[in-house]
Amino acid sequence: MIVFKTFLKVLNKCKAPIIMYTVFLLFFGIFNMSTSDNITDFTASKPDILIVNEDEQIGITKNLIEYIEKNSNIKEIKSDKESIADALFYRDINYIIYIPNHFREDFLAGKKPEVKVESTGDYQASLAQMMLERYLKVAQTYSKEIKSEEELVKQINNTLEKQVQIEMTSKLDTDSLNKVAFYYNFANYSILAGCVYVICLILSSFKEEKIQKRTIVSSMNYHKYQKQLLIANSLFAIILWLLYVVISFFLLGKVMFTAHGLIYIANSFIFTLCALTIAFLIGNSMKNKDAVNGIVNVVALGSSFLCGAFVPMEMLPDFVLKIAHILPSYWYIKTNEMLKTIEIFNRRYITANFSKYGNSNWLYDTIYDYF
Amino acid sequence: MISIFIHNFKYALKTLFKNKMLIFWTFAFPIILGTFFNMAFANIEKSEKLKMIDIAIVENENFKNSTVWKQTFKVLSDEENVNRLFNTKYVSKEEAEKLLKNDEITGYVELQKEPIVTVTNSGINETVLKYVIEEIIQSEEIISNIIQIQINEKLQEDPTQIVNIEQIGMQIYENTIEKLQKQEANIQDISSNKLSYTMIEFYTLIAMTCLYGGILGMVAVNQNLANMSHTGKRIGVSPISKGKLILGSSIASYLTQLIGVLLLFIYTIFVLKVDYGNNLMLIILLTLAGCLAGLTMGVSIAACIKANDNLKTGIVISVTMIGCFLSGMMGITMKYMVDKNVPIINKLNPASMITDGFYSLYYYDTLDRFYFNVASLAIFAIIMLGISIISLRRQKYDSI
Repeated sequence: MIVFKTFLKVLNKCKAPIIMYTVFLLFFGIFNMSTSDNITDFTASKPDILIVNEDEQIGITKNLIEYIEKNSNIKEIKSDKESIADALFYRDINYIIYIPNHFREDFLAGKKPEVKVESTGDYQASLAQMMLERYLKVAQTYSKEIKSEEELVKQINNTLEKQVQIEMTSKLDTDSLNKVAFYYNFANYSILAGCVYVICLILSSFKEEKIQKRTIVSSMNYHKYQKQLLIANSLFAIILWLLYVVISFFLLGKVMFTAHGLIYIANSFIFTLCALTIAFLIGNSMKNKDAVNGIVNVVALGSSFLCGAFVPMEMLPDFVLKIAHILPSYWYIKTNEMLKTIEIFNRRYITANFSKYGNSNWLYDTIYDYF
Repeated sequence: MISIFIHNFKYALKTLFKNKMLIFWTFAFPIILGTFFNMAFANIEKSEKLKMIDIAIVENENFKNSTVWKQTFKVLSDEENVNRLFNTKYVSKEEAEKLLKNDEITGYVELQKEPIVTVTNSGINETVLKYVIEEIIQSEEIISNIIQIQINEKLQEDPTQIVNIEQIGMQIYENTIEKLQKQEANIQDISSNKLSYTMIEFYTLIAMTCLYGGILGMVAVNQNLANMSHTGKRIGVSPISKGKLILGSSIASYLTQLIGVLLLFIYTIFVLKVDYGNNLMLIILLTLAGCLAGLTMGVSIAACIKANDNLKTGIVISVTMIGCFLSGMMGITMKYMVDKNVPIINKLNPASMITDGFYSLYYYDTLDRFYFNVASLAIFAIIMLGISIISLRRQKYDSI
């Protein structure tokens, strides 16, 4: 028990970083929790658009603005140039439409008044562009035939109201599963950083030259000593994992009680074991206590960035993902991502996925044994 | 006395460079973090662009008989079309269902009386598909409306034309299709080409390095303080101007800090291809001011807080990290949210001053905002310096 007691004593000193990693997880977990209900009907994506109207808001101009407003999220931005420029840069808005002065007059006179736009160039902006183009084209085509503005507006609206019937096959609650995946992906960082930091610090305290010499000359059985240390560390890792699982129940709610939630928990447990072995490997091969902080940051941030814990996996370049294949985080996060879209589980699928972890876990164990 | 100054300066420089932990945090860590950023963010903006969408069309009788539909999808899936939107497969219904289930397509279209689009879930690609299909339906609507209007007009002009109504109808139909195809909206894109928001990450990295330099300043000053080390006690009893010693140490750490930032600049510009704008002199000015702010912050923390080395380092690191967090290092939106809702926080935050300085140099054409940031940094440095001078001068110990 003496080893275990000492373990707890040292652990007590590492409270601060564990609290910090947990706060990070909590913060980003909550940050991403913008509430939305279970949606199983089709909802069209809406780009964020800002309309700067220099024309009078009547007739065709008013109708254009109404059409855009109906199909997008109109953002309220302060009207000074700097706020608008900032909003576009930070993607608060995807698309700005400048309706010129005399737009209505020119349009009704059969001219094609120039509409200036600013765009972030992403898919939301492309969608906004499609919307604006469609309106202008329809309006231009009709304006040649219909002279009365009232009639024109009516006809445009009638045409643009024609919609297509959409059927959705999936009844998965993708929105809350996305949140679960986000939370557990981020937990990759917290679990890894927490385990590596604490275990390295504890192992290096036990390995301090004087303490180690005293331990060796004592009557304590060496195997027993190592075993207690390993159990104590595993216990710590499991408690850390449990803490994050409990938090996930509070943050994510009822989706955690489904089969999906269970697999997420199981997946994170296996990853915790990986993190434990990595921490053991580093802790045993490290000589300098001061280096712990540096190593934690490089290892935890490195595998989180490379494997898609912070930035979604599909956005990472291929060569990065190739490198990431050797890290257990990659398999952990990949499983999380896959879980989002699986509707029915079968045994073969799950074992196939988990055995890959097994491989990387085994790799670390072998390296550790070698030391 | 000058020789003592140079002597101290030289040794301060030597001790700083021999401290491996310090060198790791101020030199290597930003470079490693920058590499991670680059790997993670390299594709993020590219992947936000609209890509080609895989879809399928159920090839039934209705589809085969409709010229408009066939023609439209042919154009939109044409490999030579620059604006190619779709990669279309023409298949049977069973096959389409299978493709959708295996996630190989975004959705499929089936032409019954009305077209029906089937997708797995809501999303941006699905919305684009919906838009295009609606555009076809609406074009059909426009054509039939226009035919009706024109025929009515013609009949009003000359009721006898009712005899060859079909021929007139066909003619209008073809004319309208042609007009619709040629119709172009007069939209001019005036957006700036400097909209790469991931640059902010690298700017916060520079800010972090500048402020981490505070640790260097702190370590160098600590060596001269009687309550921090034995060397400090010996220095304390020596008949040398303490001001000169501290100035020497500070300049030594400023120099070390600048070398660190220079390395980071070289790495980010030439290897990671970060864009800092084109005005080299202003970049240097901002960096000098940023490093000075970091240094004076470190020195004032060393001077004011009576605690051991670790706690002081902890304070510098936490202040830096919180500052970087607020200026967008862990999520670029953070900076925007703070700037928009509580601007005062980032006006007081040195990390944000540095980040915002680089941002305004990169994105803005005018320099007002840039100079405001540089001036804020200078004021911050002067205040920190004042605090350090007040707390460092006339320090005396009866016993220690």
